[in-house]
Amino acid sequence: MEDRLREAVAQSRADYTEARWEQVTRSRVAFQRDQLMALESGEEAGGIVRCLVRGAWGIAVFTDPEELPRKVAEATELARTAARHVADPVALAPVEPVEARWQGEVRRDFRGVPLEEKRRLAEGYNKLLREHSPLIASTSVRYTDSWRTTIYANSEGTYVEQGIPDVTLMVAAVARKNGDIQQGFESVGYAAGFEAVLGKEEQALKAAQRAVDLLSAKPVRGGTYTVILDPDLAGVFIHEAFGHICEADFLLKNEPMRKVMQLGTPFGVTSLNVVDDGYRPGERGNTPYDDEGVPWTKAYLIKNGVLTGLMHSRATAHKMGAKPTGNARAVSWEHEPIVRMRNTYIEPGTVTLEEMLQGIERGLYACSAFGGQTMFEQFTFSAAYGHEIVNGKIGPMVRDVVLTGNVFHTLQNIEMIGRDFKLEGSAGGCGKGGQWPLPTTTGAPHVRVRNVTVGGR
Amino acid sequence: MDILRKAVQKAEAAELYEELREGVAVKFHGGEIESVSSVAVRGRALRVIAGGRLGFASTAGGTDAALVESALLAASHGDRAPFRFLGEGDGRGPSVPVLDPAVGKIAVEDLIAWGEDAVRRIREEFPELVVDALLERGTVDVSVRTTEGAERAESRSYVSMTVEAEQVRQGDIWSVYASRLVRRATDLDRDALLADLVRELRWGRKIAPPPTGAPPVLFLPTGTPVLLLPLMVGLSGLSVFLGTSPLTGRLGETAFDERFSLSDDGTLPFAPRSRTFDDEGVPAGKLPLVENGVISGFYYDLRAAALANAASTGNGIKGSLLGGGGFRVPPGPASRNLVIAPGEGTLDDLIQQMGEGLIVAGVLGLGQGNIQSGAFSNNVGVGFAVKGGQVVGRVKNTMIAGNAYDVLKDGIRAIGGRAEWTFGALHVPPVLTTGVRVVAQ
Repeated sequence: MEDRLREAVAQSRADYTEARWEQVTRSRVAFQRDQLMALESGEEAGGIVRCLVRGAWGIAVFTDPEELPRKVAEATELARTAARHVADPVALAPVEPVEARWQGEVRRDFRGVPLEEKRRLAEGYNKLLREHSPLIASTSVRYTDSWRTTIYANSEGTYVEQGIPDVTLMVAAVARKNGDIQQGFESVGYAAGFEAVLGKEEQALKAAQRAVDLLSAKPVRGGTYTVILDPDLAGVFIHEAFGHICEADFLLKNEPMRKVMQLGTPFGVTSLNVVDDGYRPGERGNTPYDDEGVPWTKAYLIKNGVLTGLMHSRATAHKMGAKPTGNARAVSWEHEPIVRMRNTYIEPGTVTLEEMLQGIERGLYACSAFGGQTMFEQFTFSAAYGHEIVNGKIGPMVRDVVLTGNVFHTLQNIEMIGRDFKLEGSAGGCGKGGQWPLPTTTGAPHVRVRNVTVGGR
Repeated sequence: MDILRKAVQKAEAAELYEELREGVAVKFHGGEIESVSSVAVRGRALRVIAGGRLGFASTAGGTDAALVESALLAASHGDRAPFRFLGEGDGRGPSVPVLDPAVGKIAVEDLIAWGEDAVRRIREEFPELVVDALLERGTVDVSVRTTEGAERAESRSYVSMTVEAEQVRQGDIWSVYASRLVRRATDLDRDALLADLVRELRWGRKIAPPPTGAPPVLFLPTGTPVLLLPLMVGLSGLSVFLGTSPLTGRLGETAFDERFSLSDDGTLPFAPRSRTFDDEGVPAGKLPLVENGVISGFYYDLRAAALANAASTGNGIKGSLLGGGGFRVPPGPASRNLVIAPGEGTLDDLIQQMGEGLIVAGVLGLGQGNIQSGAFSNNVGVGFAVKGGQVVGRVKNTMIAGNAYDVLKDGIRAIGGRAEWTFGALHVPPVLTTGVRVVAQ
């Protein structure tokens, strides 16, 4: 396929052409209660061609490799059609052509692990959950792995071949009592081998116990609180609320927002440092080369409280006079690369959790995340559970904790940054522009924020 | 050799699902065309029952031999299959119209023109807005064949248009969007789509303080997923069987307001998720889920039905309204077109009737949280304050919270008379409620 790809882009008549062919090997095991809901393994392959003609993109997605040359012609023709309507043409920031081959490092390659063993692993966790308490009504355990091999060539002479591993485990328990239903879950995800999902019994038990505990937890009272975010939730916050607006494609056609997001603008306390990192050993967001063939960088989005960088594709970098950062990622061969995060985290500070708790008369300790969503500066995310903070002490558990606010105000309201640190790959993924779930990693220490709006009954 | 014949050399039964998706899409960003793309994707999924056990595998581009081998491998470690694949003698439902040949004749240039027209019309009135749009058309050819002699195939067309308008000012950013997904070219009402969008933009010109406490809350059709998502999960026969649904064991019980009726209809001509047969070949029918407040049905695929001693309702679908479908995943119980029976009154009547309250047109964080219990707590992404029976402006930093089951049981004040298509495949009128808590910063 390598030769075919090189030849196809070389022979293209478009101004710029790139082609990507992917082969994905994956397996999946899922249990719900006593039911084996999924047990499968398989392979798929597909490709995408992207051509630029007079500043407009033409794209063709296909599954038949024989069609490659025809798809290059088709994408070129579509680009020509689009070009007749373009007023503000796309151009690409220059990058050095590269020739690279990269294989993710794993201790035990999951492609060599028998499906039966994967089943046993999931079944074992499921059994732990089910037997934890008579209040557990149902459980859910999901194991997935995939090895994504991509070969990429463009008409500037770049050729990249990569093998990226991804392994995830999600355990969840549903507890039920008198018609009330609560759930607890834990999940992990890594760019690693089978070893990464072994020995998670403790997490499974934590999930089950949390589901049970939530049955007797009160819903949080809505209002405004000083909130301590645990590292999981702080990581989701920085990804959802801040990371997405640092994606340059969002700013590109957005003059007023671009002014807000001027490099050099102070955004928070001086101890605040936010990073989007293309490579940390074993992490899910790893993107050694992005889907435009650009090598990874470690980019500070915020350094010492000041906005210092944005995330770019080659097109956004050109428009904004910046350097490509290696953030152009596609979730699969069915999609073109768009600006996405990789491993995004708040760097640790100096404060302990005990110090953070001091001086909070009535506050909230918000933990772990169901998920999050943003609409520009507005964000909302759901903590999996929380605890009241009363007179500087962590108090009873509360549920239905949903935090919302304006990201700029919230960043300014960060009072303390913990000295602990945790990276979390989780088992889901990031969604944007119809591309979901993209493996990303988030991370943070404990973070204390004042004036956070919490929804509730 | 045919792949099914190959499969049954080592298995008792097999089922092949094939999907060929072909179409084009035009994307606008910031009011300008960004890309034109084509897609031609062929995916397959094979289920086998071997040694009494169920196995599943899927592929794009892979060989027959590899697909059969993967499915057999899965079966060899799988569990007993509680059901059998569709057979020759199993009923064929009436053919549901889902293919419009005119869709294939929509040219890329047409899609571009529609996008440009939308941008121009929005900017005439709101020149400062950033407008994004996505226009798509194409067909999906689906076939399901089993070794038991069932053979179903049909071609389904689609046209979709989504327009999003963002207003960006420092300290005040908001966006509204409108979307249509249809199967028949003439059903794409671009004027209505733009009218929806412009109405909200006009309402949102001013910012208004939100009513707080427990005011009446009017869910526009685009806001109703807040209430319907928990039901989509709770009415699934699998959730009911597993005991994760609060509706388990409550068939025939009055669980909702008597004005509330909900059905799942796969047979509406040319509706977004209509189909002659589901992804297991079972005829898609019409299934009443809630009739005048009484729980009257749950939806099943073959497997959940077998587990629960019920019959498949033709809801064995790859992927729910929330997405995540396609040939890669095995079928599971999922809704087709969810329809709330309309009540009476226009949208303006409902706004008049509420006097003072909150209109919810869209939320952030949909489906997050403990959805199984019915609990919701969302930031109001697009919402409007109502005073004296008039919309006075849009709200900011506002959250709603409540429980969908409680709201639909004790909190319905009125259901509007006109249903609209939204969220892919919900056909719903606006719903005026009480018992939703509103918190603002």
